[in-house]
Amino acid sequence: MARKISILQAAAAITKGLGVTLREMLSPAVTEEYPDAPPSFEARYRGRHILRRDENGLEKCVACFLCAAACPVQCIYIEAAENTAEQRFSGSERYAKVYNIDYSRCIFCGYCVEACPTDAIVHGHGFELANYHTSALVMRKEDLLEPWPKQADVALPELERKVS
Amino acid sequence: MSPRLYNEPSPLEVKILTRRFGLPNSQSIDTYLATGGYEAFRKALEMTPEEIIEEVKASNLRGRGGAGFPTGMKWGFVPRESPLPKYVVVNADEGEPGTCKDRLLMEHDPHQLLEGMLIAARAVGAERGYIYIRGEYRYLIEILDRAIGEAYERGFLGDNILGTGMRFHVYTHSGAGSYECGEESALLESLEGKRGVPRIRPPFPATAGLFQCPTVLNNVETFCAIPAIIRDGGKAFAALGTPRNGGTRLFCISGHVNRPGVYELPMGFNLLRMIHEVAGGVRDGRKLKAVIPGGSSCPVLKAEECDLPMDFDSVAQAGSMLGSGGVVVMDETTDMVRVAVRIAKFYQHESCGWCVPCREGTTWLRHLLTRIDQGIAKPSELDLVVEICNNMLGRTFCPLGDAAAMPIRSFVMKFREEFEARLRRPMVAVPDPDSLVVS
Amino acid sequence: MSKLVTLTIDGKQIQVPAGTLVINAAKQAGIEIPSFCYYDGLSLQGACRMCLVEVERVPKLMTACTLPVAEGMVVRTNTPQVIEARKAMLEFLLTNHPLDCPVCDKGGECELQDMAFRYGAGEGRFVEFKYHVPEKQWSPVVYYDAPRCILCYRCVRICDEGLGVNALGVVNRGVRSEIAPNRGDHLECDECGMCIDICPVGALTSGTYRYQTRPWEMSHVGTICTFCADGCKTTLGVRNGIIIRANNRDRSGINDEFLCIKGRFAFDFVHHPERLTRPLIRTLSGFREASWAEAIELVAERFEQARQQGGRIGLIGSTRTTNEENYFLQKLLRQGLGSNHIDHRQSGDLVSLLMATRGREGALATTADLYHASGILILGADLSQQHPLLAFQIRANYRHHRARVYVVTRGPVREDQIAARSLRVAPGQELEALESLRTELQGLPDLVVLYGDSIKGSAVARLVQWCDSLAIAVRYVCLLDDANSRGALDMGLVPDWLPGYRSLDQMNLQPGLCWEEMLESEELEVLWVVGANPLRRRHLKRRPWLVVQELFLTETAQQADVVLPAASAYEKRGTFTSVCGELQQLQPAAQVPGAKTDLEIASLIALQLGLELGPADPDELLGEIHRTVDGYNVDLPLVAAGAAVPTGPYPDVAAVAVRVDKIRSREDTLFTAGSLGQRSQVLTSVREAPGSLYRG
Repeated sequence: MARKISILQAAAAITKGLGVTLREMLSPAVTEEYPDAPPSFEARYRGRHILRRDENGLEKCVACFLCAAACPVQCIYIEAAENTAEQRFSGSERYAKVYNIDYSRCIFCGYCVEACPTDAIVHGHGFELANYHTSALVMRKEDLLEPWPKQADVALPELERKVS
Repeated sequence: MSPRLYNEPSPLEVKILTRRFGLPNSQSIDTYLATGGYEAFRKALEMTPEEIIEEVKASNLRGRGGAGFPTGMKWGFVPRESPLPKYVVVNADEGEPGTCKDRLLMEHDPHQLLEGMLIAARAVGAERGYIYIRGEYRYLIEILDRAIGEAYERGFLGDNILGTGMRFHVYTHSGAGSYECGEESALLESLEGKRGVPRIRPPFPATAGLFQCPTVLNNVETFCAIPAIIRDGGKAFAALGTPRNGGTRLFCISGHVNRPGVYELPMGFNLLRMIHEVAGGVRDGRKLKAVIPGGSSCPVLKAEECDLPMDFDSVAQAGSMLGSGGVVVMDETTDMVRVAVRIAKFYQHESCGWCVPCREGTTWLRHLLTRIDQGIAKPSELDLVVEICNNMLGRTFCPLGDAAAMPIRSFVMKFREEFEARLRRPMVAVPDPDSLVVS
Repeated sequence: MSKLVTLTIDGKQIQVPAGTLVINAAKQAGIEIPSFCYYDGLSLQGACRMCLVEVERVPKLMTACTLPVAEGMVVRTNTPQVIEARKAMLEFLLTNHPLDCPVCDKGGECELQDMAFRYGAGEGRFVEFKYHVPEKQWSPVVYYDAPRCILCYRCVRICDEGLGVNALGVVNRGVRSEIAPNRGDHLECDECGMCIDICPVGALTSGTYRYQTRPWEMSHVGTICTFCADGCKTTLGVRNGIIIRANNRDRSGINDEFLCIKGRFAFDFVHHPERLTRPLIRTLSGFREASWAEAIELVAERFEQARQQGGRIGLIGSTRTTNEENYFLQKLLRQGLGSNHIDHRQSGDLVSLLMATRGREGALATTADLYHASGILILGADLSQQHPLLAFQIRANYRHHRARVYVVTRGPVREDQIAARSLRVAPGQELEALESLRTELQGLPDLVVLYGDSIKGSAVARLVQWCDSLAIAVRYVCLLDDANSRGALDMGLVPDWLPGYRSLDQMNLQPGLCWEEMLESEELEVLWVVGANPLRRRHLKRRPWLVVQELFLTETAQQADVVLPAASAYEKRGTFTSVCGELQQLQPAAQVPGAKTDLEIASLIALQLGLELGPADPDELLGEIHRTVDGYNVDLPLVAAGAAVPTGPYPDVAAVAVRVDKIRSREDTLFTAGSLGQRSQVLTSVREAPGSLYRG
């Protein structure tokens, strides 16, 4: 009697397992074809940072250092300077003369984005950061800044929708 | 020259301080002397300083500037023996919207003021007096200077007054148009040539006033009442009023009445009678809506609250203040929101900026009330108005903050439905609140 | 001591002296009452209304900052009414305050931020337009942003009461009130920046620190100002080895929070582009850069020759090197090289005073004494220009204790404002004029006498004698020029005495040449100049071989055979002794790659010469000074902890012949400071820079 029951149980388990296989065979595949095809991201994916510009093309960053203060790994380095009448970088009195993020340290926690009072720093979706030299992982303001005028090929549709 | 009378006297008046109003040449010392002028001073010369102060105390005279502090007591605080010189200062900075009595007293009867100062000087032993006149009353300086000149000529002022050896000199000093300088310590600062901002008290002016010396500082009307008190006795003066409020008082009735003007009435005179019998009733037979009983800094009274005797204590009991006697009458057509805006604007403009709650609170109130008036505010912001007022009340450096918060709070609380109606109404083009005059 | 009053604050019963303000009594009880306008030592305002407290039996809330304690008073600071009032005041303050904290220089150390954080009102209900006015620049170092101003009037008061300058006032009224310079659109003042420091918000900001960084990004190094002799503690804000600002907000030094323009702004010489960073060796065609090893070897070789010729080497030292460096230098010269030709530029005659008061306890006044003494006598010095801290102390003494101040100078000085009597006499005639003050001075319980360089030699002895005849307690301050002028005297950087004013006989030495004689001497083979610029106004008669340790290529360095780049006082460890004799510790703040401290250079030379002079580490040297130098037997842990420790007494003062004509003050104003001052952009850029002494 006991033997009969265990055979039935095994058969049921196999059928159940095969059922899952069958169902998955019929549902669409989730596999990303990266690197042959571009990967898709959730809107909130935290990738390489982007320093944004305002509608006039001025940098939003006012060099308040709050991102650097919030950063748990101290990967942000800023030097501030004052805008002059001749040379205006940001919409406020001051701007970041130097803005470096050390991606060998960054843990993509997003605290900097949360701390930013002007929404100047946001996470983009860039993730291909691997490099043979750690020194190349320190990105400067010029590397992080949103291009201006905005170019179609580097537009950030997801981001735009999310932030603005 | 006889100054113009602005209104017909009323038969109900008790004319003590204003008894020379309307006499020909009432400004001149001849008229003054012919009508019993400087007799009280001569009498005071016979009295000891203590006797003078006792007489003033017996008169139950309370300061006519607004606070209603007993005058005799105030004089008593001045130290008898002091190595410092003492001063008598007249607060003629009559800036309260709705009040216009001191102007008339100085215009019609300047010598009465000088005599009051002389008696005060005699009582406390001062040798110098200053009359601090509101900047807008420039023409009064001329009148007063002429009167002072006459008094010097006749020996009532100078180094040897009437041959008694008493010294007293009087100077006029003009303000520059700041309401705040009507506050006694700010007035003293201004008189010293500094920025007109209030001082920390204590010490009070009686011990450390002008140039940090003992100072008697009273309102024009208070000084003007002194000659009558000394001449007829404090008891007689006190008998004119109610038990704790001696004498008569000049009420400046303005607004929607048929005969606006300044009337001298006994303390404790009924407010409704004042409006209907003295000032000839509400204009065009309209209904009374509200009254500000003592100048714009006092909480408003609704029509049904107006049946009360006008003395310091009764008005305080009714939740307002007798203030400086500026009775502003408003009939049923009055837009209370607009009145509140106008008052807020005045105090915002006049705040000296010294302390935080007044400086920022008055500004906030003005902006907020203007928006309410324009109908672009949320109903909950009416509560915010009350809360701002509460946050200012009793927490400002000097009474100006209270003076702004009290009336505005009373308008919002007593006429709330009118404010709410404004917020329901679609927005309309609004005339500048400046075009509305409250005073 | 006034009588004690007992009162209760928040249920805590405390006893405080009568007359204490409630806000201070609460502080003693460990209870914080917030305030903006109340400031210790300045007059009362009662304007910010933050300190409202509940007092039993008083219907209204009272301001704790204007309310003196009374017996049996019961104060409550944490009732709902009080908490709500504070919140309301903050809300009022914030209505017109811009929300630009992220760009405001004060962000992170702002009292308004802290208060809003602690007492609420973080959410605003004010939706109206804020009143805006553009920012103004009042001077190269002071900016004013009116919308941020909360009108606490601290700046107005510190300028008027603290500095005696009265450069600031208030214009307009109501919500449009703002602080304005009394000169209209610009400042003409000491440019001390006290107004910036004392500002609780970011209304007054510093022109040099402006938008450079944020407070938490800097490390803060407490060290001693390297300019005048007063010994102010200055806390340097340093980022990446660069000094960004200086202040003393922690009130840690003898100067409390006082700093003048030099202490607060003139540190910029440290990072001047002309700083020397490589040793220079003279060639036929001018200087060439060399390595340290090469330069030291060359110098040591020449020194060795001079030593073998019987010590034909002279040293002109500095008034801005540390005690340890001075001690080591004199040791190197006297013990190692066998020469006593050692001197520095002396600016006041202290040794005559020490000789005249030999054996007395407490003959020298401390900085604190200037604040407590009931009488102050100033002889021949413009204190506000030359000794701003001492002037500040005296002014505070006058304000708080009604001190009697007497001024005897050749021209008007700012101290005349507070002086009981001011006398104008020609320099050198001060003592004759004193007689007219005799009766007034005799009536005082105690007196502090400050004398400048016009009183020297026998005049000092006569001054002491005259003061003795007053029969009151008198203490003295001998005014000196530079940050460690006093230390140079104490450490025996002079040809006439050994460290601690000991007699030369103890080392069997004869008095050496003074620095002016060195320049003219025929016999010196080598002249070693450490941080001095003697050739600015003089010439060498016969050029000896010249070694110069300097920060910049000064007139002297330009003529040198070897120039060694030295570190400034802001880059090293060691101690300074202030004009009033307080010993204080320096901490290295800045880093200028390439430069070495004078101690390091001297020890490298000693090493190269193979001399055994003991340790050359600042801390160990201080230990040696502590053991061997009279007057420096002080509590070293206290010094290490950053305290100002009074030195003295000097039990064994040698009887020396004072070289009176060599003692001369450089007569710096607030805006000059020798070769360092010339390299400070701030000192040279302010409009007051071409100032002079005795203008009042």
